[in-house]
Amino acid sequence: MQRETRVVLLVLLLAGGALYLHTTTTTEEFSRHNIGWNGTSSLPAEEVRDLSRLDPGSTLLVLAPDRPFTPEEVGYLRAFLDGGGRVIIADEEGAANPLLADLGSEIRVRPGNLSSLERDYAHPGLFRGYVVGNDTLFAGVETVLLNRPAEVEGGEPLIETSVLTWDDVDADGRVGEGETFGRSVVCAREGNLIVLGDTSLFINAMLPENPKFIENLQPVQIDAVHSRTGSRNPIINTLAWIAERPLAVAAMAALIILPVAWRFGRKRE
Amino acid sequence: MIPRTSHIILVAAAVLLTLLLAGEAVDPVLYAAENISTAAHADPSTIEKRSPGDAASVIPLMDELLGHTGTLALTIKIKDYESAQRDLARYSELTSQFDRLVVTLDLSETDIAEFQKNNRQNQEAMAALLNDSQRLDELQSLEIEVLDGDQRMAVVYEGEALRQKMRETYTAYAKREPETTRIATHYGANATPYQESVEVIAEVAGAAEDWQADAPRSPLNISVTPREGRYGENLSIGGRYADGVPGTPLTIYVDSRIAGNTTLDENAAYAYPYRIGRILAGPHLVYATAGAIFSEVATFDVLPAETNISLAIAEVNRTAVACTGNLTTEDGRPVQEAPVLLRLDGETLISTQTDGNGTYARTLILTGGEHTVRAEFNAAGYPLNSSRSGVVSIQVRGEGLSPFPFIAAIAAALGAGWYIRRRGLPPEPPVPEEPDIEPPPEIAETGPSVEIEGLPPRDAATILFRALRERLGIPATKTPRECARLAPDHAAFFERYERIRYAGETPTDEELRAMEREALGRAD
Repeated sequence: MQRETRVVLLVLLLAGGALYLHTTTTTEEFSRHNIGWNGTSSLPAEEVRDLSRLDPGSTLLVLAPDRPFTPEEVGYLRAFLDGGGRVIIADEEGAANPLLADLGSEIRVRPGNLSSLERDYAHPGLFRGYVVGNDTLFAGVETVLLNRPAEVEGGEPLIETSVLTWDDVDADGRVGEGETFGRSVVCAREGNLIVLGDTSLFINAMLPENPKFIENLQPVQIDAVHSRTGSRNPIINTLAWIAERPLAVAAMAALIILPVAWRFGRKRE
Repeated sequence: MIPRTSHIILVAAAVLLTLLLAGEAVDPVLYAAENISTAAHADPSTIEKRSPGDAASVIPLMDELLGHTGTLALTIKIKDYESAQRDLARYSELTSQFDRLVVTLDLSETDIAEFQKNNRQNQEAMAALLNDSQRLDELQSLEIEVLDGDQRMAVVYEGEALRQKMRETYTAYAKREPETTRIATHYGANATPYQESVEVIAEVAGAAEDWQADAPRSPLNISVTPREGRYGENLSIGGRYADGVPGTPLTIYVDSRIAGNTTLDENAAYAYPYRIGRILAGPHLVYATAGAIFSEVATFDVLPAETNISLAIAEVNRTAVACTGNLTTEDGRPVQEAPVLLRLDGETLISTQTDGNGTYARTLILTGGEHTVRAEFNAAGYPLNSSRSGVVSIQVRGEGLSPFPFIAAIAAALGAGWYIRRRGLPPEPPVPEEPDIEPPPEIAETGPSVEIEGLPPRDAATILFRALRERLGIPATKTPRECARLAPDHAAFFERYERIRYAGETPTDEELRAMEREALGRAD
């Protein structure tokens, strides 16, 4: 009986370990491994790490970039755009501006705290933007629920806010002294390059809010090198590292199977 | 632990874990987000939804207001006064609606508030223009009908006053046009009807100019000193009446409304102190009448002034706080009888009013928790600029906890304790064979009569137990087991009753009859 108990306990321990590894998550913003509201685990997209291997004619999403692009990578993106590919850069902190300049674009992201009086939610940063330009990305979409967007300058406007929108510099939720109402462009394009001043449209909590836009986005690849879609969690990174390498997967399987085989083989003897 | 139990526990644990794993595989959510907002975004599922309602109606209402100015000016021009009164009523209603929107949406520091102020002045200008046009028409008719000297002069003087007033009204109206149009255009509202209304009002005022009655210089002159002032300051309206008799009553009009009365002194002069109160900033007209004699028209300017509003909050009790403060102009004059709004938690508006010293006080009943309050003065109708106090936070303790749940809990605990004590008496020590502490109870010859017919069997058994205990003289505090020890002859009765009482067994009718006989001491 004692032996049986030990076996059962061992099984339970292994099952618990597997459960822990399976459900280990993170709360990092935009992380593909974050299953919470501010992660991007539910966004249907394929991650790409090598920009030289982009499928011509496909769509690449650069989400909240926080790492610089090398001249080679900029060259790959230029070639991708010239080859009919579509690049969507979602940024609200202005980190994408050097890339935009390198790509020869005149569009720039102006960080701010856009808020609107005309909104469906109690939060001033959650409001609707109106589609004003023609692009397949917004086909059949009249309004987009925005979430603390930033203004985008230059290019052909695709999404504009209502006129009762202001940059809430002092973040007090009201239009105060020095703050004025006015329309702002939050999405613009130049050819196949689209710049969206709202990274939040792709987080888990926002996906159900703009279903048609997400549908139009498909199929899409996410740049996993420069976007903030990764994680700093060592367990997640180890699992991801193993999953990406067949040899490592085989080694892990062997690590589990071999002791069992050895145990049973020994018993038969 | 026996092996079988151990197996069952292990199997149950395995099944439970398998179920948990299966559930997690379908929906692998282990945590709930606590932070509903970050620097980059907010979680819409945790934020209250609401209708854009009021905000969505701002621009359409601006459009409608501008449209009404055009219609109203035209109806005044064509002298359709009945339609003009209707249009003015609707315009006033929309203006009030817009005023409320500006306050509700907290737009007092935006150019929409500037539009609101201009619109309010336009509405008052339209009302004055309509009244003046009607009166001027009446005077023109009177002038034709009245031929005698004094009456004719009165008509002429009043006509002249009205003519000047309409000219001033038009000038002020036209002056507001560029800024109002700029704001309207910025918000995409159609300013064309409003721009056209300026031209139409120019024509109405021009038509009044055409009526150049032969007006000799009035014997009643008037002047205002100083020519301009701010809220709370006094202006002196005065002059001389060349042919006047001392003591003659005079009436002073400001913007065609009676401002007060005075009399001529022994020098045929008069003076009336006019305190600038709730009157719009800008030019105003003043004239005096002495009977049928109208003075010429004088003007004065009211200059806008800044205001300061303070707010102090003090706790009154657990749920009430007293909000007090002062509303003064920049040079410290109290703003009297002025409306003050208290904005609670950024949304709810509570109105109050200043007294003669510019002080306001209002008690608010609040729910427990932290609240913010800000005092606001929206200077509609005053020659003052709006002001607001700083936001004051207050922690309200809220209603104290009701003592009832505590009392109930204590009572329940005591009751439970008593019950457990009764049920959980420690096992009795072995019954000594010959108890020598207490003498054998005295057995009564006959027991008390008991009635158990119709009772549930277990209740009937209890009654019989009590009857036997009483018959044997055993104290009521003794349990069945103690009774059995004290009266061994009836031990079987008491043991049976103990099983009925505590083990939940139900006695049969036959058993009850036997117990009844034993309890009452009857022979078989």
